[in-house]
Amino acid sequence: MLSDTVDAPIAVDAANVTLMLGTRDAPVSILKGVDLAIPLGQSLAILGPSGSGKSSLMAVLSGLERATGGSVRVGGVDFTTLDEDGLARARRGRIGIILQAFHLLPTMTALENVAVPLELAGHADAFAMAAEELRAVGLGHRIDHYPAQLSGGEQQRVAIARAVVGRPTLLFADEPTGNLDAATGAAIMDLLFDRQAAAAATLVIITHDPVLARRCQRIIEMQDGRIVADRAA
Amino acid sequence: MSGLGWRASWRIARRDLHLGFRGLRLLFLCLFLGVATLAAIGSLTAAITQELRDRGRVILGGDVEIGMTQREASLGDKEAFRQLGILSETIRLRAMAQRVGGGTDSVPPAILTELKGVDAAYPLYGAVTLRSGNYQPLAADRILIGEALAERLALRPGDQLRYGGALFTIQAVIAQEPDRLGEGFTLGPVAIVSLDGLRRTGLIQPGSLYSSKYRIRLEPRYDPATVVKDWEKARAGEGWTFKERDRAAPGANRFIERMGQFLSLIGLAALVIAGIGVSNGVASYLAGKRGGIATLKVLGATSADIARIYRLQIGAVALLGIGAGLIVGAALPPLIVALAGDVLPVSPGFRLHPLPLATSAGYGLLIAFLFTFPPLGRARTQPAAAIFRSAIEGGARIDRRGVAAMTLAAALLIGLALVSARDPLFAASVLGAVGLVLLLLLALGLAVSRIARRLPRPRRPLLRLALANLHRPGAQTAALIVALGLALTLFVTLAGIQTSLDSEIRNVVPKKAPAQIVLDIPAPQKARFERLVRAEAPEAQLNIVPVLRGTITAYGRQRVADLAELPEGAWFLRGERGVTYSAVLPEGSELVAGRWWPKDYRGPPLVSLDAEAAKTLGIGVGGTLTISILGREIEARIASLRKVNWDTMGFNYILVFPPATLQSAPHSLASTITMDAGHDAAVTRALLAAFPGVSVIAVGEVIDQIGTILTQMARAILVAASVAILAGIAVLVGAIAASRQARSYDSVILKTLGATRGQLLLGQALEYGLLATVLAGVALGLGSLAAWVVIVQIFDFRWAPDWAIVLATLGGGALLTLGIGLAGSLPLLSVRPARALRQM
Repeated sequence: MLSDTVDAPIAVDAANVTLMLGTRDAPVSILKGVDLAIPLGQSLAILGPSGSGKSSLMAVLSGLERATGGSVRVGGVDFTTLDEDGLARARRGRIGIILQAFHLLPTMTALENVAVPLELAGHADAFAMAAEELRAVGLGHRIDHYPAQLSGGEQQRVAIARAVVGRPTLLFADEPTGNLDAATGAAIMDLLFDRQAAAAATLVIITHDPVLARRCQRIIEMQDGRIVADRAA
Repeated sequence: MSGLGWRASWRIARRDLHLGFRGLRLLFLCLFLGVATLAAIGSLTAAITQELRDRGRVILGGDVEIGMTQREASLGDKEAFRQLGILSETIRLRAMAQRVGGGTDSVPPAILTELKGVDAAYPLYGAVTLRSGNYQPLAADRILIGEALAERLALRPGDQLRYGGALFTIQAVIAQEPDRLGEGFTLGPVAIVSLDGLRRTGLIQPGSLYSSKYRIRLEPRYDPATVVKDWEKARAGEGWTFKERDRAAPGANRFIERMGQFLSLIGLAALVIAGIGVSNGVASYLAGKRGGIATLKVLGATSADIARIYRLQIGAVALLGIGAGLIVGAALPPLIVALAGDVLPVSPGFRLHPLPLATSAGYGLLIAFLFTFPPLGRARTQPAAAIFRSAIEGGARIDRRGVAAMTLAAALLIGLALVSARDPLFAASVLGAVGLVLLLLLALGLAVSRIARRLPRPRRPLLRLALANLHRPGAQTAALIVALGLALTLFVTLAGIQTSLDSEIRNVVPKKAPAQIVLDIPAPQKARFERLVRAEAPEAQLNIVPVLRGTITAYGRQRVADLAELPEGAWFLRGERGVTYSAVLPEGSELVAGRWWPKDYRGPPLVSLDAEAAKTLGIGVGGTLTISILGREIEARIASLRKVNWDTMGFNYILVFPPATLQSAPHSLASTITMDAGHDAAVTRALLAAFPGVSVIAVGEVIDQIGTILTQMARAILVAASVAILAGIAVLVGAIAASRQARSYDSVILKTLGATRGQLLLGQALEYGLLATVLAGVALGLGSLAAWVVIVQIFDFRWAPDWAIVLATLGGGALLTLGIGLAGSLPLLSVRPARALRQM
């Protein structure tokens, strides 16, 4: 069953999505025909064991990976017709991504890391906006610190700030608390939901944690490259 | 939405470099080395050539010079010369300087010198500087001697010296002779007398070998090139030589330009090799940035944005490397000049030469562009999904636009080399050869990977790992093979060149070289000469030949004066050659075509020509040659071709006539004397007493001089080749650095599983050892071929490498590269598994 936002405009519409990876000699079928429609503003958790295709589904929906078959429409844009650069441009200002390993640029400060997506989108006041977002996530006193000088939780806060600073309509988070302890992880999730609400964005979280999943409005379960369950939280 | 502009890209690029450009040090070093070498060689060549040009008047001794051999200009001709400006007349010949009072144990009684008679107008340009006092026109009984002559015969001002039948008092020792370089190669030190003094010696006789030179300081309204052209046309066929101030020392010019060209090509080859290091260094750097690049793409950077950011970074470091190379390259020539001392013909001061610097910068930029494009192309097309995956999987590729850009850069590079080369064909050959070697090694690298994949898996884990490392996804086998192969090939090339040159130096003396060569023996005194020699050295063997000088003025219908450029290899068309006559086939010659004339032949003029010379000119038996001897042109039919053995150090002539053609012309005789050691001094004394005008050349001294020149050349080649070796080592370091990330991961995992550092080192050694073994044969073949080309094709020496040394060098080189490879692996051994695993 779907959430109350079922009548809202569709943020993500994936139909019969397949994904094949590996080499020509050893191909691997990762997604085997996935159908998924995510309304605007909904929070969705994707649950499943390791190797079920959760992260790959997120990669396809966020434009990090091109589907081998099927169609993926995000914000009305057909991702399957775009090349790498097209997907990169499509992500700007539209999609924010938070990853388990944070993936901050090690040679840039927290402020510079958060400013990068705004600079890529051509914002003139990128650094002012970035500083404001860092203050919003409680790191106003660490803006000139490098990732190596920050704790894991602080790095993930920077990653969250970077993902939301451009006010994207769609947020993806892949195991955002996977590298953090329970207390820090909980604080991060609070922050994430808080920033999602502030941005009025659609949120998709990849997790294997049922407790975290229950914080979302909707849970889908994946197994062996397919969606096996889809229910309200 | 538009992407990053250049300014924003530079901001991001600069931020990324804030930790310094550690990862791009190899890029900096390779470009610096290559550009500095090219800039230094180019600047030095330009400096020397410029100096020769600027000092052309002084070096030549005038604005134009008209020369002739075995005769002087007529009074009418001298008057015509005076119409053009101020005339200075000099006569130069080889002559024995005899010490009054004889020799001592340590001082010879006489030595061969260059005796120069000058008039009151000499020198027209520059000044003769003396060790003490000022130069004044000389009285008929005064002489100035060179420092080498003063030293050899232990003479001082005030001492006396004999030349021929005349005694001279030494006025002073010459510190600098302004036209020394313009005189060309000389066999002995110089001595200067007045023209009257020279005539007092009695050495100027019909048939003597002397050169008359008429230098003119032209009035401003005359252009030297036009004057020379007019006179060449008017007096074609008379065997006169003409020089003008812009080509005052053509021999030195040729040598410097040729040597400069050769060294430049070595420098260019080194830069191309360094380009591989550039590519490896940048690949390694960008591999380290993989995560960052993927993150930027996740955040919305397009491939163009990535390319711009990293091109700016790489470009900034490349410009720094090129700039530093230009500065050092421009500054090196004065240091080289100071270190080289007398080896160089002139000592130019410091000056910036924009053209070689611009050319070197051009090369550096093109190499940087060409060799950074592939790794940059891979990085820019790396998909964002790489953030999830390791470097094993593909997904990155070079696009067509990139390939087109690289092709254009390569074409521009080749074009620049051809345009700036003195000999474009040679330059193209060198570049082509370097390119072929690289492609060959690249193909070998791919082949090794394929073969390694198909081999059965060894049981021993370290060997299995070593073999697997050759074909694993992401393996740097091709890069390592190119780097190792280049380094080993360079070692073999250098060893081949060095040992062949050493052999050439040693073998300059043939088994039975003559002890002495005697010139200017009066033709009617032949019998007396033989008696005198045999009286002092009864076992001596003599080879006596008549000697004249002549100039080839035409071959077939082609006048030499009408040629825009001499054919390649036609050195004998330049200036005068020795000419002789003989009734029988001369010693050291072998008839290969045609027939020798009968002993008593008296028909129309015939000539026998050296077979190589005939091939160069494209003429054969039945063709005609026109030779000017003593101002008279002789058109002769080619009766035969001879293969001349130049190695015997006997008298070998390109042109031999029948006796009837030249017997009656004024000429002298020359003789080689082959005798046991110990008779030299007695023979010399006896000959000088009987024939004051003869010149006695000690062959050993000539050989020493040639040996010195060859050694200096070998040294210059060694220095230039060392840069190529350094570049090769830089490439190897770069290839190892590029593969470090994967090896680091392996080392950590293996250590975690219980491997010791010794085992890890052994694994690395096995891998490098496998590669070195595969490459040894290839390097031996390629390196030997390269050395053969340099020795035989470029320098025209004998191919005689010492294979024991070449193989030892190959082995040593393999060990050295193995050592460098293992040294590069040492940091991996000290990685703590726990810390590394946390960071991975």
